Amino acid sequence: MSNLGIGKFKYFVGINSLAEIATCKDRVCVLNILGNESRGVTPVSHSYSGGNVVFGTSPGRRGEVLETPSGNVPVYNNVREGMDDGHSFNVGVVYLPPAAVRDGVFELIRVNKAIEKIIILTEKVSVHDAREIRALAQQRGVDVFGGNCLGVADAWNHIRLGGALGGEKPEESLRHGSVAIFSNSGNFTTTMASYLAAGGWGTTTSISSGKDLYIHFAPAEFANAFDNDARTKAAVMYIEPGGYYEENLEFKKPVVACVVGRWKAKLTRAVGHAGAMSGSGDSAMAKEEWFQRILKVGGIYSPENPVCSQAGAVVTNISHIPAALTAVMKLNGVEPDFAPEGDLTLKPWFGDNQGLPLPPELDIPLVEPMQPYKDQIAELTRQVGATFPRESMKDRSGSSIMDAKTQVTRVSGISILDTAKYPLESNYCLALLHELSDDNDNALFNTAIAADVNLHGDAAVMASDAVRGAGNAPNVVSAAACAVVGPKRVDGACRAADVLIDLFGHTGLHTGDQVDFDFSKIKASREQLAALVGKKADAKAVAMLAALKARRTKSVFVDYLRSLGGHPTADAVLGAITTSISWSALIRKKIARTTAHNFPWYVRLFATIIGASVDSSRHKADSFCGVANKELLNKWSATEIAYLALLGEKPSPEKLFPFQVLLGLIISNGVGTISAQGCKGAVSADGPESPERVQINKAMIGFLTHTGFAHGGNGFEGIQFLIEQFGKTKLKDAGDPKHGLDLKAMGTRFAEVFGAEKKARKGVGESVRNIPGVNHPVFKNQLVNKDPREVYLSQLFKERGETNVFHDFYSALVQALYDSGVTANVFCVNIDAVIAALLLKLLWPRYRSGAFSEEAMENAAFTAFLFGRMVGCAGEIDDHINRGRNMDTRTPASQCTFVS
Amino acid sequence: MNITGMLYGAKLLKLVDFPTSQVLGSEASEHEIQQLIAKCGEVFVKPIFRGGVGKKGKAGLLGRAKDLKTALKEKERLYFAEHRHGNVIAKSQGVTFEGAVPAEHEVYVSIADSTRYRAPTLTITHHGGMDIEELSKDQIVEVPFDPMTGLKSFVITNALSDLKAPKEIVSPLAQNLPKLWDLFHHNGMTTLELNPIRMMPTGKGGLMPVACDFKCGFDRDDPRMKRLNLPNELFAVDYSDFEQEINQLRTYQGQSDVSVINEKGTILAPTFGGGANSLVTEFLGDDAIISSDFGGNPPYEKMRQVMRICLKHWLKQSNVLFVIGGKANNTDIFVTFRAMADALREYFSEHGPTPVYVVIGRGGPNLSRGLLAFKDVVDSLGLPYRIFAFDSAMTDVVRYAQAADQWMKSGGREMLARKLGVAA
Repeated sequence: MSNLGIGKFKYFVGINSLAEIATCKDRVCVLNILGNESRGVTPVSHSYSGGNVVFGTSPGRRGEVLETPSGNVPVYNNVREGMDDGHSFNVGVVYLPPAAVRDGVFELIRVNKAIEKIIILTEKVSVHDAREIRALAQQRGVDVFGGNCLGVADAWNHIRLGGALGGEKPEESLRHGSVAIFSNSGNFTTTMASYLAAGGWGTTTSISSGKDLYIHFAPAEFANAFDNDARTKAAVMYIEPGGYYEENLEFKKPVVACVVGRWKAKLTRAVGHAGAMSGSGDSAMAKEEWFQRILKVGGIYSPENPVCSQAGAVVTNISHIPAALTAVMKLNGVEPDFAPEGDLTLKPWFGDNQGLPLPPELDIPLVEPMQPYKDQIAELTRQVGATFPRESMKDRSGSSIMDAKTQVTRVSGISILDTAKYPLESNYCLALLHELSDDNDNALFNTAIAADVNLHGDAAVMASDAVRGAGNAPNVVSAAACAVVGPKRVDGACRAADVLIDLFGHTGLHTGDQVDFDFSKIKASREQLAALVGKKADAKAVAMLAALKARRTKSVFVDYLRSLGGHPTADAVLGAITTSISWSALIRKKIARTTAHNFPWYVRLFATIIGASVDSSRHKADSFCGVANKELLNKWSATEIAYLALLGEKPSPEKLFPFQVLLGLIISNGVGTISAQGCKGAVSADGPESPERVQINKAMIGFLTHTGFAHGGNGFEGIQFLIEQFGKTKLKDAGDPKHGLDLKAMGTRFAEVFGAEKKARKGVGESVRNIPGVNHPVFKNQLVNKDPREVYLSQLFKERGETNVFHDFYSALVQALYDSGVTANVFCVNIDAVIAALLLKLLWPRYRSGAFSEEAMENAAFTAFLFGRMVGCAGEIDDHINRGRNMDTRTPASQCTFVS
Repeated sequence: MNITGMLYGAKLLKLVDFPTSQVLGSEASEHEIQQLIAKCGEVFVKPIFRGGVGKKGKAGLLGRAKDLKTALKEKERLYFAEHRHGNVIAKSQGVTFEGAVPAEHEVYVSIADSTRYRAPTLTITHHGGMDIEELSKDQIVEVPFDPMTGLKSFVITNALSDLKAPKEIVSPLAQNLPKLWDLFHHNGMTTLELNPIRMMPTGKGGLMPVACDFKCGFDRDDPRMKRLNLPNELFAVDYSDFEQEINQLRTYQGQSDVSVINEKGTILAPTFGGGANSLVTEFLGDDAIISSDFGGNPPYEKMRQVMRICLKHWLKQSNVLFVIGGKANNTDIFVTFRAMADALREYFSEHGPTPVYVVIGRGGPNLSRGLLAFKDVVDSLGLPYRIFAFDSAMTDVVRYAQAADQWMKSGGREMLARKLGVAA
């Protein structure tokens, strides 16, 4: 042992008084200073302590800093670099992950000869490592606190070392006073300090010891330092079972010991604190007896039985600590440090009986929260909409999730097998509002789409014409149109939505369709009115309002616009429509205000992508694709309009359903898909932490540019395959059950040809081509394989009595492949086959008649994919804006590789 | 996480070349058993208990056989034997046949970390083969030693000198016992006990220590244990399905420690902090379904998953959902409460409403936002509730939760169920 310490113990102890534990002279180095926990805690400790952290380490991040209110703390790769730069310190704080803690402690001890104290915050440090830490620290003469502790603090010195004692506002709990705290629980260190303040007692030094098997700065060392600290008149100890640390303590000043954990004797393994497991003689009962002996009392203190002595008291309920301490100190002739602050009686801040006849002991009246919480709560209650915690959203989503087992994706919690049953407009609302829309919402939404789909004379359609003319694929064409729908284009509508949220946010309005709602008392300011009404009549607004009437929609906000007496602008009508749809989710804090604010933008983009999918020749002043604007506005759904744009005709209900299913199925394939990554990357690059700056149209372009001939455009492969099979047949209507084709024979024919080809290719070592729509990497290796999504949809169509000859052919084909010995088992018909079959069934008559070339078919397949996928991507964009961090999708350089 | 018995004990000891008795498992053929009897003269038939189960010999759960017939009879008797030790009832899952080791001396040895010395400590006596608690103080010694140098021969010879142990056992023990340190220290053990080690004559005039029973405990936080490639099911007995599910989420960020207290309990109490865990579980007693510590600032997704698992297993039977913790230092109340409230809302939308009284007590960073987030959800679910902050005594909040449970038991649950339009 190089350092003999204070010499009173058989082993090394360096600290002789509590006053030496956290001092103004201490200078701190924090290991893993940029780790999650340290990033939040260290700035508070640093500022509370007047700036005592000299530097921190984080391998590979030299040159970075930890920002704190008291200035930046430099970061180095390791301790040696920091010291070489001239920094010196005597306290090491360890925030490393468990496996790295021992090495971190060794680094501190070996590299810095001046080290005196080390504080280990990390939980779950192995006993093996704690053993070696103890040995080396003893050898080199270093005092260690923890592991799994929350550090130490001194209310007199205004110093906090290591962990988060006192939380974000240490001064609130760590009041200047005369009581020292030693606690096995970090949380209870602060909780007991708060309780003591309620009893009029402040603190000197507070120690969170941790409760691992090894407690390095243990009760015996505490007892000695406590006796030698003139500031401290009494101590409070919180002790759990396990270990013999307290068995033979000696105190010269009063102590209240709280021993908790009798029930733990029943446990066969630790829960919570790793060291709180007792053997035969160190149970909570045994410890109660030790303390009763040490403190010379004959029982446990409680208000009913206030047993205490001048030496102290033993409690088993932490709420009894303040009263026990006051009683003990009274016997010593010592008064509390200050007047009791509040009390610990039950004070519910919030509650609701829900109209139930609760007995008096439960029906406790609510109490106003204490300050500063009262003001915070008042402020927060004024906020409309949810606030989501920000975190890295790389490869993560609060919008979609694909189940790796079933391959079924859920969007806003709804499976895509179910979204396939809903129209496009419902799914768009679902992705953004996280709940299903009703008929009224859909009617409002459809009006808004119809109002913006006709791009006659608009730069968007001109841009898309030019891009299409240059030979680009449909995704690039749509992207060009989206680029035109920038922030300025939607500012008016988004502002209108904002004004309506401000005006109605605290009126008690629950849903947007509550038409009997009395808004007579709502008074808009002149500025607000300017965002809603114009001086001259706006023809587009007039048409929209007429359409809303014709559709018999219900909307408080539209009614409010009408009541204003002026001329509502088209932007205001759009804002009123979207606010009406989003209101219920917004007011129940299911969505963020940002979502409601941006909703008009999403609607415009939706309409633009559909509109720009056809060239300008089909956008006339009074009609779109040959259908009068008025008719679209008054009657058409967004799904029908999408169908019209894609196929150039009004759909019958029989044709609309499979189209809707097709779009519903492809809205998302989870956050890992390239399209989702594209739109998320675009949001991340704009910086979602300033949500108002995120360009949603650019994010939509991100999605569009992240689709292509392999992702989205590949739907055509299945169609091409089916055309190969059916091109030479006389099939007219793919939905006719009496199509007259022998599908089994067709399947067998193909299987035989394919089998021969496979054999030949294998013979020369070439890879065998895949059959589009057949087999799946997950759904395989059974005797008969099924893609559950395909099974579900087959059933759905069967129930509706619908036939699809292409789909039936696929079923015959996989059987034939097996029967002919080409495949080892019956391969599944996968979801791509269903999509191809659905789409080709719709396109078949045009293909047959020669109206659609193969290129047009390919474009149509790709465009249909974009119509569906824009729904899921809108959800991803919104989710990332609300939850993400700036640039969070980047991949650290350390994870990137160079390929030569 | 314990292992008892020679079935795995012998395998572990072989890793460090420590001699062991010969062991056959349940699957041993009659021929093999007979061969073992022929070789060793006698076999011990011992039930296999997973986990740490002691005092089997005292409970009569030890068979001896000098012939095959007796051995098979003992196998039949002990194969599914039940054993109560403390609060634990263990059921045997097969037997081992262990060859007898002739010896004059039996030695007890254990290595464990002692909180008295804060060092690894060797406990040794040459009066082995019996309960060490029954030995007088001069018959047994505890010797702490330096983990940086390990358990060295001199530590053992010193200890045996202090014990005045027979001289013929000193050298073989000094040669072999240091091997145990390698097994103990490098594989994540917290205790290792061999009782007895029988000192078998080597035939060359010397003695050889042979381990005849084995017990060890592992540190669940030490990844070194994985080096041993022990099958998972060896420890599965320690955990219920619920605990297993939660354990899968166990990482160093956020504690997520749980233990089922009473499967028929009526208060579901997700608890934050080791201290709160001790206190709350103690006060709730058998009303509590689980004892838990979810503190340590778990991130949103982890907290939501943990809560989903808790709700999935226990909400249906619960009268009170009781979220409780002290004044957090570092755990973000908004993040954790939003995660829990979201999980509760999801449970209701997936499974429909269930009558439950919600009681919350908490303090810490982002408190106002956190409490409001939970409030919004319970409001929208139409549940009765009270939310307390850190200015109410935690134990009184526990009492309140118990009162709510009592009210629910005496008719409140039916009333609430009617209001929610579901069955009680």
